Amino acid sequence: MTQPKARKRTERYPDPLAMVATICIALTYSHAKAETVPSQPSAILQKYCVECHNATTTEGEIDLSSKHIDWTAPKNRDLWERVLNANAQQIMPPADAAQPTKAERESLTKWLDGKLLQHTSIGGTLPRRLNRSEYQATIRKLFDLPKFELPVGFPGDIELHGFTNIGEGLVVSPPLMEAYSKVAWEIAEELYPPKNPAPKSSVRIAKPDDMVLSFSAATVRDGTLRLASRANDVMRSCSWPSRIELNYSGTYRVSVSASKFLSDRGESFDDPMILEVYARPVAASERSRVQNFRLLKEIEVSSEEPETAVFDANLYEGETVLFRWKNAEMTHDPPAIRDGFEKIARANKEFLAAWLKVVYPNGNAKPISLAPLRGRVGWDSVSKHMNDPELDLTGVSADSESAEAFFKLVTKSGKTSIADSLCHYYFEYGPSLEIHSLQIEGPLKLVDSPKDLLRKRRQEKITGPRKEGMSDEAFARQMLETSLPRAFRRPVDSADLDRYLAVAKEHWDSGHSFDEGMHLLIRNILISPRFLYRSLGEGKLDDHDLATRLSYFLTGGPPDTVLVDLANRKRMSPDWVLKRESNRLMPGRASDFFVKDFTGQWLDMDLLPEIMPDPKLRFTPQYVDMARSEVEYFFATMLRENRPMTDFIDPDFTYTSLLFAKHVYQLPIKLTKDSTANRKLRRIKLERGQRAGGLLGQSAIMMATANGVDTQPVLRGVWVLENILGTPPPEPPNNIPALTPDTQGATTPRELLAAHTKDAECAACHKRIDPFGFALENFDPVGRWRTRWPKANKPIDASVVLPDGSTVQGAIELKQWAVANIDQFSQCVAEKLMTYATGRLPNHAEKAEISKIVKENRESEKGFRDLVLSLIASDTFRTH
Amino acid sequence: MPHLPFVESRRHILRAGTTALALPALEAFGSTKSNDEARPKNFVAIGSYLGWYQKAFYPQKTGKDYEVPATLSPLADFRDDFTVFSGLDHRSQNGHAAWSNFLCGQSPKSYSLDQMIADSIGDKSRFPSLQLTAGAGEAGKSGANSISYTRQGIPLPKTRRPSVLYRQLFASKEDRARTEYYLQSGRSALDNVLEDAKSLQQNLPAADRQKLGEYFDSVRAVEKSMTRQLQTVNVPVPDPKYKLPDYDPITPNLQMEAESIFYDLMVLALETESTRVISLFLDGLGQVFSIDGRPLGSGYHGLSHHGNNPAMLRDLVAIETSHMHCFSKFIKQLKEKKNAEGVSLLDDTIVLMGTGMGDASRHSNRNLPTLVAGGGFNHQGHVATDQSKSNPPLLGDLYVTLMQRLGMEVGNFSNASGNLNEVLS
Repeated sequence: MTQPKARKRTERYPDPLAMVATICIALTYSHAKAETVPSQPSAILQKYCVECHNATTTEGEIDLSSKHIDWTAPKNRDLWERVLNANAQQIMPPADAAQPTKAERESLTKWLDGKLLQHTSIGGTLPRRLNRSEYQATIRKLFDLPKFELPVGFPGDIELHGFTNIGEGLVVSPPLMEAYSKVAWEIAEELYPPKNPAPKSSVRIAKPDDMVLSFSAATVRDGTLRLASRANDVMRSCSWPSRIELNYSGTYRVSVSASKFLSDRGESFDDPMILEVYARPVAASERSRVQNFRLLKEIEVSSEEPETAVFDANLYEGETVLFRWKNAEMTHDPPAIRDGFEKIARANKEFLAAWLKVVYPNGNAKPISLAPLRGRVGWDSVSKHMNDPELDLTGVSADSESAEAFFKLVTKSGKTSIADSLCHYYFEYGPSLEIHSLQIEGPLKLVDSPKDLLRKRRQEKITGPRKEGMSDEAFARQMLETSLPRAFRRPVDSADLDRYLAVAKEHWDSGHSFDEGMHLLIRNILISPRFLYRSLGEGKLDDHDLATRLSYFLTGGPPDTVLVDLANRKRMSPDWVLKRESNRLMPGRASDFFVKDFTGQWLDMDLLPEIMPDPKLRFTPQYVDMARSEVEYFFATMLRENRPMTDFIDPDFTYTSLLFAKHVYQLPIKLTKDSTANRKLRRIKLERGQRAGGLLGQSAIMMATANGVDTQPVLRGVWVLENILGTPPPEPPNNIPALTPDTQGATTPRELLAAHTKDAECAACHKRIDPFGFALENFDPVGRWRTRWPKANKPIDASVVLPDGSTVQGAIELKQWAVANIDQFSQCVAEKLMTYATGRLPNHAEKAEISKIVKENRESEKGFRDLVLSLIASDTFRTH
Repeated sequence: MPHLPFVESRRHILRAGTTALALPALEAFGSTKSNDEARPKNFVAIGSYLGWYQKAFYPQKTGKDYEVPATLSPLADFRDDFTVFSGLDHRSQNGHAAWSNFLCGQSPKSYSLDQMIADSIGDKSRFPSLQLTAGAGEAGKSGANSISYTRQGIPLPKTRRPSVLYRQLFASKEDRARTEYYLQSGRSALDNVLEDAKSLQQNLPAADRQKLGEYFDSVRAVEKSMTRQLQTVNVPVPDPKYKLPDYDPITPNLQMEAESIFYDLMVLALETESTRVISLFLDGLGQVFSIDGRPLGSGYHGLSHHGNNPAMLRDLVAIETSHMHCFSKFIKQLKEKKNAEGVSLLDDTIVLMGTGMGDASRHSNRNLPTLVAGGGFNHQGHVATDQSKSNPPLLGDLYVTLMQRLGMEVGNFSNASGNLNEVLS
């Protein structure tokens, strides 16, 4: 299970060598704009870097020997930003080489920081194609198709910088274009379907043998279909013809021939029997409830002779009729079944005696299993005894103890077995409702089905109402005036509009209908670059682009009418408006798209479905879901309650079930007697300063940073650097095989990974990576606390020295350290949010702006929601 | 429109496929064998939701010389064409929800065998794979009864209406006309958006213009592909001379009828090389079948909880025998159809018949009744695996053998890393 993770990491980082190779070219051919490197940094570079990174050696294909730098070339800035990071994080020079002094390091940092700030301007998002989920959400909203789903084979998106909504990563390819073209067709087909040929009226007949029998809902006896019970479950009480499915929505003439069935041995039924006739979509689920269907008619059946009722009803495409006996005495709920049993048993001793004989054979005290007595099988065995002239009736009484025990058993057994048998008593002796035949004639005339009406409403939403006397062209123009700005998320000028109108006109001129013209326009709109891309252009976002960026950031979908209206009035950009709108759209529930999508990608919750915890860990799929929910509820609450940033690390609350809190987190929880309640997610108060709670203690995080079977300290360490501290290590050099510790072995992972710190080349990064992994080693692959390494069976040593020199003993102290250095975490999450929102990795200038916001947020004791609001107000957010 | 309103629509179906792939032809299926080795090229998996009653499915004796058990009686004439396996399973969890372990292996709802095969060999036909279902049941309940899952674990929608499958395979005149319209008007739509894109580009910075290059390239590529498709869309499709009923047998009690029609269409699909991979799901819930004019004693699902009651078992086995009766007609047709070299379609097709439910009465997913037919294998009658030995074979080992037989270079499946090549070759 390590594979997906490994795959993902390689996808996330483009090949560093290829990247650097291009940088080298850029450096070699630096031109007139180049500035001379001042003497102080030049001396430091000469002293510590150039020995390896020069024009001929180019270790890692990096050349730092040039005396001149063209800062205007973005590739040069990328390179020197990497130098800045390698210096600040002390990754370079390697451990076995001479190290710069603190002052030298600071001096280099200051020079690079200044130069990079001076030459980096805010902005630079490439056009962002709508990604899968944005595309789906946008279509849903644009055409009022809330259930629209992309086809299963629809191409996926490439993840870049940890997210699937980055401009650079969102590529358009021929297969994707073809998929867009197909989806556009499907939408157009839904809105403007081709006309069906005119139907012919016909007569369809169903006899009892052509009706559906499900469980004991109905049976066929003496050439009639008999119904005996009423229930809301269609499969337990209804019947319908198996071979009639109407192809046209219209008015039909329905004739039903029905009668009462009564017998001397059964109960009487003096009232008219009410036969309900419903409209049922033939393809509806067998688990449907009758309330989901449309009642067409109630027929009173009063005679034991067949009588035919005739009525006209509207039936829609794909439907048939369904029968239910409304006032049947028998139902399928246990107390009523028990009462039914008792009633019959009091009137009919043979009935009771036979049941007792079947259920308690040879007078046993213990009943047999009732499951095999289902349906007619059960009834046949009872019936055999009932009709046995030698059936012993001595002592048989509905008041006897054995009868009472039996009635109790009936109640307990519920609806599934005994009731199915009891139906057959009614089928055999009555009262039952008999259906002799069904005839459906039509369509007598065509009608609009609810689907047709809904389609008309959707059409009108796109076109606006058609005024009397409006020409096709004027109507199509009105449609474009309404729909193009919505689809393109900004006003459309008349030349562009005319180009679209010409498409329809040309189509009509070549003999196509009005609807076909609209069909084609819809397809055109949906493959236009103005629909498929956002963030086109440069510089400050205008009101429309700002509304679009804000909306996709917080909701994953296009701007709503309020935002569109504000943008149209050019009222979107004042700070107070932007803040008000951000607050209005701010997600606060775990089910909100932003919460699921952002935590799915930032915290790698999207990896959880691929991880199958080892059965030894006793971690069920329900636990996996619960663990993910915990993260989502937690994150949503941080946002909703504007919690301080330190609560991400050391909160006084979490969301999980009592069962999970007890069994996985080993919290002192008292379970209730109600096992359903124990499994329900709820807010749970935590003591601060302990191991459970926060991003460095949550089960789902520990799961996402392991592989389901064992922990991998390096993987977890890298994850913490990348997603909690925002200082991802560079990729391991290509020529060195990764050390994959075998935690199953006799040695501990620590012993195995010691190799990393012995080798100077490995040590530069691993002295930064490994401590974070080892500090969390007490969390097993599902986040349960452990004190010994499995297999090696040695106590876990989680004491580490962090890159800044702090000594930390395990997870709790690591959390304390993270709280003390909270700005580093805040900067990390702020950069992730900004990357997700703007579709680009923040550059040096943007990081500086974010850093100011982070600092200000902490100093004025603001919370997470405030931070998000300040990020939205920033220049970085407001720039293309 | 399978993915819009969630119901299978009987509206126009676009003719699938591109010019690169052969259109269905009804002459004898082609000979695509390479010189080196004759290997089957098709794979069919059929799974029963409610399982197979083991005692009526497994022969008492092992080897070829067994007495045909009740459920397999319709297959008596083909006993040399299949092998029955007893004792195999995926060590998956118990319960209906884990049913998909049939093709998914130990982890239900993961990459299924048929999709692995389709991803390997499916691109050589118009439809990489087909997923079908007969008999209404739990339809709509989340995934508990899906059979085919993509690499990402997405359950694939199943075609329930024979008329829809028929039209996918043999586009009607109306469907062809609609497809032509799609392609023709689609090309003009692409022309227009290219103009639109050019006008849009004028006001964009260089970096954006460069990025939009992808868009232009893609639009032009699709335009070309549509032009190619237009050249073949009107090539007439031969009439398969198959008469569908004028209704779709989708009500639960018509399951056997649906099954029979699907088997016929599956033969046609394989014969015309429209696809190489098919899965068929045999659903089941409360439907009360009438067999030989006799309504059975209880619903299908009720009977599956037989509790060893003889009357219920008799009726359950009657249903399962009916399934096998439909299946035997499938095998018969596959065996009768031969290509120019005289190789039967059955030899060219591996048919896997099984279930994810070992014993529905107890919801146990151990010991899954499994049958492999065709595929040019030297069939072995009844193979019972000794599960008391250490490291006993898994059902996944058999799957590895099947995939290797299809020419796939794989050594493991789910929790299995061996094979049964010594048993079945």
